[in-house]
Amino acid sequence: MAEQVEELVNLTIDGRPVSVPKGSVVWAAARKLGIEIPIYCYHPKMDPLGACRMCFVQVEKMPKLATACTTQVAEGMVVITDSPQVKKARQGTLEFLLINHPLDCPICDKGGECDLQDFTLRYGPGASRFDLSKRHFQKPIPVNEQILLDRERCIACQRCVRFCQDVAMEDGLVMQERGFRTEVGVEPSAPFDSIFSGNVVEMCPVGALTAKSYRFVARPWELKRGATVCGQCAVGCNVLADVRVDKLLRQYSRTNDDIDDGFLCDRGRWNTDLANSPERLRQPLIRRDGKLQSATWDEAIALVARSLGEIAQRDGGEAVGGIGSTHTTNEEAYLFQKLLRVGLGTNNVDHFHGRFPQGDNDAQPWVWSDSIAGLERASHIVLLGADPYLRQPIIDLRIRKAIRRGARVWVVSPAANRLDRLAAGAIRYQAGQVGAVARALLQVTLSERLTRGAFAEQRQASLAERLAGLADATPEAVSAAAGCDAEALRTLAREIAGAKGAVILYDEMATREATGETLAADALDLALLTDNFGRAGAGVGPLLEDNNSLGARDMGLLPGSLPGYRAVDDEQARAELSAAWGVRTPEAAGLDYDAMLAGGVKALYVLGANPATHLSEEGRAALAGLEFLVVQDLFLTETAKLAAVVLPAVSYTEKDGTFTNTERCVQVVRKAMLELPGARADWQILRDVANALGLGWTYSNSAQILAEIGRTTPIYAGVSRHGLGQTGARWPLAPGATEADGQRTLSGSPFLTWEMLAQGVAKGRGSDQLALSAGRGEQA
Amino acid sequence: MADSTETQTERAPLPLGPNPRFITENFEVPGIDQIEVYRAHGGYEALAKALKSFQPDELVEEVKKSGLRGRGGAGFATGLKWSFLPKESPKPRYLCVNGDESEPGTFKDRMIMEVSPHLLVEGVIIASYATKVHHAFIYVRGELLKAGLQVERAVREAVEAGFIGKDILGSGFDLAITVHHGAGAYICGEESALLESLEGKRGYPRLKPPFPAVVGLYSGPTVINNVETLAALPAIARYGADAYAAYGTEKSKGTRVYCLSGHVNRPGNYEAPLGLSLRTLIEDLGGGMRDGRAVKAIIPGGSSSPMLGADKLDLPLDYEAVAAAGSMLGSAGVIVVDDQTCIVGATLRMSEFYRDESCGKCTPCREGTFWLVQLVERLEAGEGRESDIDLLLDICDNMFGKCFCPLGDAATSCIVSSIKLFRDEYIHHVREHACLVGPGATRAHATAEAHAR
Repeated sequence: MAEQVEELVNLTIDGRPVSVPKGSVVWAAARKLGIEIPIYCYHPKMDPLGACRMCFVQVEKMPKLATACTTQVAEGMVVITDSPQVKKARQGTLEFLLINHPLDCPICDKGGECDLQDFTLRYGPGASRFDLSKRHFQKPIPVNEQILLDRERCIACQRCVRFCQDVAMEDGLVMQERGFRTEVGVEPSAPFDSIFSGNVVEMCPVGALTAKSYRFVARPWELKRGATVCGQCAVGCNVLADVRVDKLLRQYSRTNDDIDDGFLCDRGRWNTDLANSPERLRQPLIRRDGKLQSATWDEAIALVARSLGEIAQRDGGEAVGGIGSTHTTNEEAYLFQKLLRVGLGTNNVDHFHGRFPQGDNDAQPWVWSDSIAGLERASHIVLLGADPYLRQPIIDLRIRKAIRRGARVWVVSPAANRLDRLAAGAIRYQAGQVGAVARALLQVTLSERLTRGAFAEQRQASLAERLAGLADATPEAVSAAAGCDAEALRTLAREIAGAKGAVILYDEMATREATGETLAADALDLALLTDNFGRAGAGVGPLLEDNNSLGARDMGLLPGSLPGYRAVDDEQARAELSAAWGVRTPEAAGLDYDAMLAGGVKALYVLGANPATHLSEEGRAALAGLEFLVVQDLFLTETAKLAAVVLPAVSYTEKDGTFTNTERCVQVVRKAMLELPGARADWQILRDVANALGLGWTYSNSAQILAEIGRTTPIYAGVSRHGLGQTGARWPLAPGATEADGQRTLSGSPFLTWEMLAQGVAKGRGSDQLALSAGRGEQA
Repeated sequence: MADSTETQTERAPLPLGPNPRFITENFEVPGIDQIEVYRAHGGYEALAKALKSFQPDELVEEVKKSGLRGRGGAGFATGLKWSFLPKESPKPRYLCVNGDESEPGTFKDRMIMEVSPHLLVEGVIIASYATKVHHAFIYVRGELLKAGLQVERAVREAVEAGFIGKDILGSGFDLAITVHHGAGAYICGEESALLESLEGKRGYPRLKPPFPAVVGLYSGPTVINNVETLAALPAIARYGADAYAAYGTEKSKGTRVYCLSGHVNRPGNYEAPLGLSLRTLIEDLGGGMRDGRAVKAIIPGGSSSPMLGADKLDLPLDYEAVAAAGSMLGSAGVIVVDDQTCIVGATLRMSEFYRDESCGKCTPCREGTFWLVQLVERLEAGEGRESDIDLLLDICDNMFGKCFCPLGDAATSCIVSSIKLFRDEYIHHVREHACLVGPGATRAHATAEAHAR
């Protein structure tokens, strides 16, 4: 991102000098020095409120005590945080807060991690002078399906209410009554059904808001906190997985400003079933006498290796295929394709994903060129067939932040969307018509000559042909077919072309709709031709489905692409990989997902996928009728029930590795709990199968696999756990400086430019490869 | 200070006689709330003069020259306040009229709005012209239903007469006025809470800075003036700043509508020049004390101002003199308390008001007002302890200057000042389990016995 020179302000706090950016509040400056100023109402992700009156400090030349959370720093300011006046004021506030607060710490879920408890210990009076009757409420009351409210414990700091109103911008918790009768509540006409609701539990400084799932379940000091990454959708929010003995009890945010901004969605937060479910598989299963029966790992691994090996030997590698996962780690995806390409000699490897143009084995990364944080700098955000509220919720939350900063959002979707209310415009189309809508936007852009920027300049010659190809996509024609407003399409196209920076996002799965085949290419062209590409706050790309949907593509779980989007027939890539892997990979592209499931193979290895759920009765019969089907998963899925061998794997909280989120950010996933007894990490299983096939793999941890990825996958060049650090890095990666301890840093790329795409990011190909999708190859 | 009346006489001749009524001049005229009657008595002529003879900036200067200060409570110079509006702003600027008069002991704005709503409307138009505002909002306290309806009707009549709308009186000046009825919260009289309320939000005071002059209603630059302040503008436009400034004291110019209440024979609104002595107000205008009793205490500026003892009867009622005496002129709601009043009981009543009206946003006010009432209640009931008295003072110390807005500070005024003046009476409650005076005094014997058991 462009370097912004921040103006620094110098001040002293308790006699210690500190420099912070202009506009910072005193609280933040103190925090930088490691000086704690107690707060309740203030939250670094929300505007100052100044309500709790806890953060008093003394500022020289100010007649009254100042609240550190609302006072902006000034040059030469002298702040004292521990004068007798400050101490008395803080004691006073704590005494006030405690007069109506029940002393039920021993049975309060918050006990042990409660700011009221902690600050009373550190700053409070030892005893209360209040000897009258406290205010009483019925306790607790539910505020939604998952959350309970104990109004007696509430200190009315408003964090939860402001989160609902200011951050989530949704109905939810509100302040009711006034004065000492003040309480948090929900208006009956405006229920708290937000997907972001769990954040209020995490933000509550006391035990007023508690999660049903965690009530009376553990004390905080019994928890082990694992710093990892959520394994649900493609956002990749950073979480602290709190584990007690062998159960994942809750997940809190591990604030990553560039990804989750400190918030989690309920889908991720309360997804503890993957780790805890009693339905988890605890031992390998082998089909004997038509029934899946318990087996040892040795038996199962040997059977898998023997079956796959024999079929490949007998009928050639083309007879074997693998369907990989969008949930497993990069390391596991990498090993999976390596096992198929090296061990079984086939490019028959794919996963369930959107439809992206993939002509002539030419692997182009279809990826969001900008970043989540970049949304805040966009003037326009266009959602094509995307509903991030339901599918990538924390991106929806970031879009709301962008709206607060003035971004105009256009929601182009087949059904009502939670963002409609805040959007500058909404266009409804008949389901399945998203591709037609995108073509119409491109048609308007070209026919009204709205193109701009160097990319369009250099391709003037082919624009007419591109337009001719869109003859059937005039707004009127599309409006008739898709049932949307032609004028709205024109308005949107003009806004995109005139935008300071537009981000165009489509849902990966929208490309699977009837007209969605060209959606990815048309959206890319739309962005490129209107100069909305190649900088923070402008770009285009898919919002992907799962936590490692992008990693699966990056690692080469594609029949036409080796790791890093190098085509299977790319001679240089094959030469490099044969040096690394000791075997030359097949040159011909393999079968894709549908072809493999349509009877293209005799043996199939399904890892962390469940194709049976979207197959017809016939398709499922075909799956069951395969000569050999092995399924590796956490549960006995619909697909696993058809298998000859089922291998029990572990969830993301039980293993190490990396995930790559929808904005190319590669992040470290850390083991937060022991594996479920009897189950193994996918990479361990894959290694063991490979070794049973005689491949001699020596990986003893996932870091070794990651290091190999760093050597063989150009966009991940030099990747290491150390280099990814706490917050990850966006590919293409490049090795950075070597630190004093010999560890290498990594440098990432916050956004992609079209030159980077044209150079193939990694492919080393000529720039005409990134021509207009219709004019491809005609730019020479 | 005490000789401000003398200063006035030295400045003679007074242009409009010794007792001008800039605001209430025509209040006795029957039907003055109707536009025809109002116009027959010179109504809207000041507006015509202001539009014709003054450029907006000149009008601001004229108001500065008049020395007019805010009549809501804080007493900030009106012309200066107007000049804080930024010259240029991408957002529209607004005038908000604070008619949320809720301060106990204050009922002047209510009278102005009920009796002569056109006076306010004329003042609003003049102020809008001076501040280059094209949309003004009049926020009327919800409970003042008649006042609100009167103002609404006056605005309607003024629109029909062409005083509100496009190109007012051919001046090229456009103005729209919206009348809004509050929903019943004292806090909405605090200017920033009033803005929140107008925007349809919960009545919570806003963080300052930014001040409303910069970021106010709907984030536009906003000036907020009290009803009485604006009602003084027609007279200033009509008679000139100098005529207005000829009255009052050195720093407190013009007249005020004093709201006299309590144990006097003739409570009511009295317009008089600033600097009028308390004694004159009570004895000459208010007809003296009821039943010939003695004055025990005076609350000079609404219940938020600290009470003063009977020794302050010769205090001139202007901003500076009252402040020097340890209180404030505030809304000029003068509450007179006679010697048969239990001061602890009176304090309890006032404390309950602040407890019930605290918005609950900040901790010290929300919890402190709750605690204060519980303690004063116990003392008043004769169940208190002597240590409660110092505890009250310490709670007030933990509130004063530490709350989010002035409401919390105001809640401490009656407690701190009454303990300061009448500590003995508090102690009497503790020791005798009864009031010193008033009906509660007679229960002394029974209660004392009860405690003996």
